[in-house]
Amino acid sequence: MNVISVVSSKGGVGKTTVTANLATAIARQGRTVLVLDLDPQNALGLHFGVAPNEMRGVSRATLAQQSCKSVVFESRGGVYVLPYGIVNEEDRSRFEHYLEAHPHWLGGLLQELSLPGDALVLVDTPPGPSVYMKQALRAANLALVVALADAASYAALPMMQRLVQTYCVGQPHFLDCLYVVNQTDSARQLSKDVTQIMRSSFGERLIGAIHLDQSVGEALANDLSVLDYESNSQAANDFRACAEKIVQRLQHSRHFA
Amino acid sequence: MRRPSAPASAPDRAASAEDVDQPTRWTRLVDRVLASAVWNHPAAQWVTGIAGLLLFALVVSVPLDLGEQFVFAATTFAIALLLSKTKGRVSTLAMMVLSVSASSRYIYWRLTDTVGFDNWLDGFFGFGLVMAELYAFAVLIIGYFQTCWPLGRKPVPMPADSSTWPSVDIFIPTYNEPLEVVKQTVFSAMSVDWPADRLKVFVLDDGRRAEFRAFCEELGVGYKIRGDNRHAKAGNINAALATTDGEYIAIFDCDHIPTRSFLQVCMGWFLRDPKLSMLQTPHVFFSPDPFEKNLDTFHRTPNEGELFYGIVQDGNDLWNASFFCGSCAVIKRAPLMEIGGIAIETVTEDAHTALKLNRHGYNTAYLEIPQAAGLATESLSGHVGQRIRWARGMAQIARIDNPLLGPGLKWGQRLCYLNAMLHFFYGLPRLIFLTAPLAYLLFGAHVFQATALMISAYALPHLAHASITNSRIQGRFRYSFWNEVYESVLAWYIMRPVLMAFINPKLGKFNVTAKGGVIEEAYFDWTIARPYLTLLLANMFGFGVGLWRGFFHPDAETTTLVINMIWTAYNIILASASLAVASETRQVRVTPRVAAVLPAAIRLEGGKVLSCQTDDFSQNGLGLALPEGVQVPSGSRIQVSLFRTDDEGIFPAVVTFSGKGHIGVRFDNLSLRQQADLAAMTFSRADAWIGTWGKRQQDRPLTSLRGVITIGMRGFGQLFGNVAKIVRPRPPAPAAK
Repeated sequence: MNVISVVSSKGGVGKTTVTANLATAIARQGRTVLVLDLDPQNALGLHFGVAPNEMRGVSRATLAQQSCKSVVFESRGGVYVLPYGIVNEEDRSRFEHYLEAHPHWLGGLLQELSLPGDALVLVDTPPGPSVYMKQALRAANLALVVALADAASYAALPMMQRLVQTYCVGQPHFLDCLYVVNQTDSARQLSKDVTQIMRSSFGERLIGAIHLDQSVGEALANDLSVLDYESNSQAANDFRACAEKIVQRLQHSRHFA
Repeated sequence: MRRPSAPASAPDRAASAEDVDQPTRWTRLVDRVLASAVWNHPAAQWVTGIAGLLLFALVVSVPLDLGEQFVFAATTFAIALLLSKTKGRVSTLAMMVLSVSASSRYIYWRLTDTVGFDNWLDGFFGFGLVMAELYAFAVLIIGYFQTCWPLGRKPVPMPADSSTWPSVDIFIPTYNEPLEVVKQTVFSAMSVDWPADRLKVFVLDDGRRAEFRAFCEELGVGYKIRGDNRHAKAGNINAALATTDGEYIAIFDCDHIPTRSFLQVCMGWFLRDPKLSMLQTPHVFFSPDPFEKNLDTFHRTPNEGELFYGIVQDGNDLWNASFFCGSCAVIKRAPLMEIGGIAIETVTEDAHTALKLNRHGYNTAYLEIPQAAGLATESLSGHVGQRIRWARGMAQIARIDNPLLGPGLKWGQRLCYLNAMLHFFYGLPRLIFLTAPLAYLLFGAHVFQATALMISAYALPHLAHASITNSRIQGRFRYSFWNEVYESVLAWYIMRPVLMAFINPKLGKFNVTAKGGVIEEAYFDWTIARPYLTLLLANMFGFGVGLWRGFFHPDAETTTLVINMIWTAYNIILASASLAVASETRQVRVTPRVAAVLPAAIRLEGGKVLSCQTDDFSQNGLGLALPEGVQVPSGSRIQVSLFRTDDEGIFPAVVTFSGKGHIGVRFDNLSLRQQADLAAMTFSRADAWIGTWGKRQQDRPLTSLRGVITIGMRGFGQLFGNVAKIVRPRPPAPAAK
């Protein structure tokens, strides 16, 4: 089992969309994929057809000391989904305290799910430092940083790198920190330049650039991944290429069964 | 038979000259024998050399009667056929030896046994044919020498530290070509990968046009003019040499578009070999030449130039005799200045410049990697004009700076240059071959003083060996019988200029080939077709006379008659095929499209981006293959992305054609910057032209013959179709824009 934590220091960069579409693309390659939503917005499930009023999720289950196995949904695309769940403010606070008190909670939870050896878990997190991100980074084999091709996103990267340095580097199972640029638009010079700068600073660790493509938004409105909604779209192409790179990166490491 | 001797290989000049062919058992045996240290001893070399020559003399001259000659010929040919089934260069060399032996034996017999002519008529036609045959024999033998071991030079990588790389000036000479054509070359020259502080691009405008100056200034590219147009392109380059200072000069005709990797691929050899003065790369064309266009053989049959750039130049390279071809080459400034700049004495300044460099003890090189591509001449008349210039220039060099004479050259170089010149003298011999059987059919002249069977027993092995050997050597670059087609079309036109220039090198004047034009309407070029028509009618008449004689006046000479009629029939095919070339088909695009599958994407008006591929590209538009089920209506405004590894260029475009799964788009007011980006994504891709080069199917002589016959029949049909039209007024002449 391999854990990929999808993180960013800035909000609104499209982490959840990237997580959902990457998960679908990897699952298409015949792997078992579980997505875990550690963002209280509880939006990831929407990408996989989980009902908007579905209360169950990892937060409730943990607080109720139930096994999370019972709240894993299987989506149409074959991706397993573990939503955050809907909780009131008090419970959310309790949950977060619980996570604070049990820094290796996530590792334990994933063990308990007893997933097959080649399974991939993608963990979606809220933007910026949080108890969720800490959990996700500690458990991660790969950290996947999502950024937009703009100045603000680029300026926020060092903070994310410090977090990765703090929580990931030194963990025996941690492999690497990868980057993906979202919503690139080569018609705009700034977008092109920022992508270029990131390419030259991260080299092979920048695994891809996802084009700004209306198909992505339309896909969500239709309850589909962009791979299902518009398989020929450039964004779908980009997600497939990123998925390919991630799988390759894992195959090169001995951690991958 | 002579022992096939290993040619002097030049490992110090070749980065790696290993043969890709798998050696067979017998070639490995030969290799082992050759590897023995014995051969390094001069005595061994002399003994084997003399023994070989004696054996060769025996094989050539021993008299045999008809039956014996047939048996001998059949056995030798069977061996050649066996050899042709084995791979490796040793087999090729052995086939060459057999072919040289068979042809020498034929020529020896021809000269000693068949020229005792009885009367002046026989003598006139007879000696004419003998001379033509001697010419063909000489070209065959020197051709084998030239191509016996193509060097197969590989590029030498540049040192990692680019601060040590030399400075290069790119020259783009132009005279009257439209800016549209030149633009693309300038954009691509600017994006050649080389340290920016050591690369300068210059447009050398002999047309002194204001729009060119403005264009160059806007792009920040050098613009050079001079006060007169003396010595045409050579003078233009020399004038620019005086006001520039790069250590190397890369020269591109204004319609040859370099790839970005051009310099990095070419320059390594100059750093490895300090005596290297010039390195040439192939000329490839992304538009069809008139043969390919009018015969519809583009990308199916190797064109006229491929033999030269595929085999001949690479063969020259072994002998250090590759020559400059005017474009797509790098020249080192110091040696060039030492010989007084580009040669101005002849109209083929390129080959003459290389000859002078070689005479001064400098090396020249050829790298068979297409690193630039250009526009082919669009009409047959333009093509003919260009070949006339080459032919006349070569004849001029033969007269004023003959490679056999003068200082500084090794024998290998002399022979390679000699063949380059001799090659262009084919006009008269080809015309003789095209009319020779008529001497017998029409005038009853006996050009051979021998029986038809004896002639077959000697001539057939000569022709058959030459044919299968050349098919093996040239197989991927020239198909059997196509040489005859190319020569038949040009023979009449180059014969006179070559002979005139050889008599007086000053006769004639430089002409420039117009390119980038359109042929608005298909038409038959009656003017240029006149010689083919004459040849066709004469041969048809001769064939008719032959039939009449065969049926109504049968005599003892039936075999002779049949042989002459077969020959005439072949000549009719060649003349008809030439006529087919003169039937100009429409060429509607000023900027030809290059077929290429490249990754692309289109952004539709609503913001959706679809991934797709190109069918073809040009500087004005693209053909795109869309994913299934996608429809983009004609007239839509879209944005097209083209990709090159991590780079993306994005271009506004209008859909001009929308069909099932395919659309055509025209770019919409690209800025100069966008046009340059477009060139980088298309024409200057490093891999743009390598894909198809030399990857053709190996020649299959019989298939090729069938192809030529088909084309001949088509030409025949077109002729009568056009005769029907002749009563109507002629269509307007082609507009070369």
